Amino acid sequence: MEGNPFYFYTSSNLVELTGEKADTLEELLTLLRRCTGSAIFYHVFQSYRERHFAIEKYHSDFAQWISNSLDEEALAERLGSLDVRDFTSIRSLRESMIKIIEDHLHEHPQIGYRHGKTPFFFCQSISVVMPTKYIASSLEDFYQIIGKIGIRSIHYHLIEARLRLGIDTNDFSHWVRDSLKKDRLAQRIEGIDIYLHTLEEIRKMILHYIEEEMKT
Amino acid sequence: MSSIRLMDYEPTVGKQTLEELYLLAEGLKGRRVKMINSTAVGGGVAEILHRLVPLLDELGIQTQWEVIKGGEDFFVVTKMIHNALHGEQIPFPSRMKETFLEVSRENLRNTDMDQDIIVIHDPQPIVFIEAKGKTHAKWVWRCHIDISNPNGEVWEFLKGCVEQYDAALFSSPRFSKGLPIPQFLFFPSIDPLSDKNRELEPEFIDQVLEQFHIFRDKPIITQISRFDRLKDPVGVIKAYRLAKRYVDCRLVLAGGGASDDPEGEVVLDEVRTEAKGDPDIHIILLPPTSSLEINALQRASTIILQKSIREGFGLTVSEALWKKKPVIGSAVGGIPAQIIPNLTGALVYPYNDT
Repeated sequence: MEGNPFYFYTSSNLVELTGEKADTLEELLTLLRRCTGSAIFYHVFQSYRERHFAIEKYHSDFAQWISNSLDEEALAERLGSLDVRDFTSIRSLRESMIKIIEDHLHEHPQIGYRHGKTPFFFCQSISVVMPTKYIASSLEDFYQIIGKIGIRSIHYHLIEARLRLGIDTNDFSHWVRDSLKKDRLAQRIEGIDIYLHTLEEIRKMILHYIEEEMKT
Repeated sequence: MSSIRLMDYEPTVGKQTLEELYLLAEGLKGRRVKMINSTAVGGGVAEILHRLVPLLDELGIQTQWEVIKGGEDFFVVTKMIHNALHGEQIPFPSRMKETFLEVSRENLRNTDMDQDIIVIHDPQPIVFIEAKGKTHAKWVWRCHIDISNPNGEVWEFLKGCVEQYDAALFSSPRFSKGLPIPQFLFFPSIDPLSDKNRELEPEFIDQVLEQFHIFRDKPIITQISRFDRLKDPVGVIKAYRLAKRYVDCRLVLAGGGASDDPEGEVVLDEVRTEAKGDPDIHIILLPPTSSLEINALQRASTIILQKSIREGFGLTVSEALWKKKPVIGSAVGGIPAQIIPNLTGALVYPYNDT
């Protein structure tokens, strides 16, 4: 007997322009300290969601700007290597980014006031979350729906989930583990490297893992 | 064009995206929207509205589109405002302001405003906000142009109107201003099914090249844009000359005009003078009905340029990327949001003249 059904949601973003911009690393740091959580969320996640077809050097807008506009590749790499899967809150993610930038400025104080080629513009995200018509009650249903659900739904449940839930997993693994009692499948989904694959590739990986699970 | 249905986009965007559109539209079903802009033909806004209006209707959002009317005097003023918002330091005498206000108010008298949402596109019809108090509608100013560094006097004049709207939409975060109203990012779009973007037979592409006497014996670099100083066509020729030292190539500068742009011919003359009879430079003035020809020129190109000095979004960049062409574009307006450096093209920063 299987547990609760899985309700698939999808989300769209309305992007609000805050009117705030940073020309230098010091200004970026100041704004990082005081911007809203939804601004952090937007700049860390939107690029991956909106350009889900491409594997870019950095997913985070902050790392991209530091690389492209300030040419501070070492710092961009350190920020870009932050794995969002290690964070269950925007607060801890923000603190880690601030710490990395502060450490870099401590080592290289001269770059703090150097102007970038273009400013960094702070935006924030207003999410519109909507229930879809898709509900899975079994692994078979789950497999069928994962094959056809929108890519934004996969992003919502797989990537945005840990910050929403505040726990160290994603919606799919959480449900597979709790309701289907399939711990191995839950772990395999948790282990997907979102930085090395596009969202379509991730869909295929999840389908492949489910197929293997169904064979056992 | 109006016979296109949402389901026709399914092969391009997938069934899921269409389902999400219906979900999003659910909350707006039955609402009535009015779009107002300044030209029915030519330019990105008209192209978008031609397609968007019937699609919104299909989603259950009743949408009307109206185009304001005006004589040459009015469009000289609106072009001046357009250039000033792009940063040109030009005087804005009171008689120009009067012409702008009078023609706007005359249009306003002849327009019903009984809708739930009024979307005003760009500065030309911006004065329509004067009717806000007499309506129950939410008013949105949709700014398609680059106002990152506007002429102060003209922006102050318009700002009084902008601040009365309920929200403003911009194509790039670079354009956001210190306004007391909410501001949102909203990208324009191209239509993959339109004549400008649909797949073409290779024979048709060859035929278009032949029509314009363009040989395919060397790489073709193309900029598609109106003959407008803000698109820097003369700078494009200079950049081509630099590149030609290393790679023998052809340059195609092609574009049309719009009914609200009286300056095009002057710029076209400047471009022809700069080209000075170089047989590898092809300057092509296209009528507004040339979507298929533009499509063919883009598809025949090796690299697409968009060397704008200011740019609202740069739909020609979207068109080129859709056709899988590498694009070299200025890092202005909405262009950086489109080009992924070293993956789909390259960005040129403003301090690089060419």
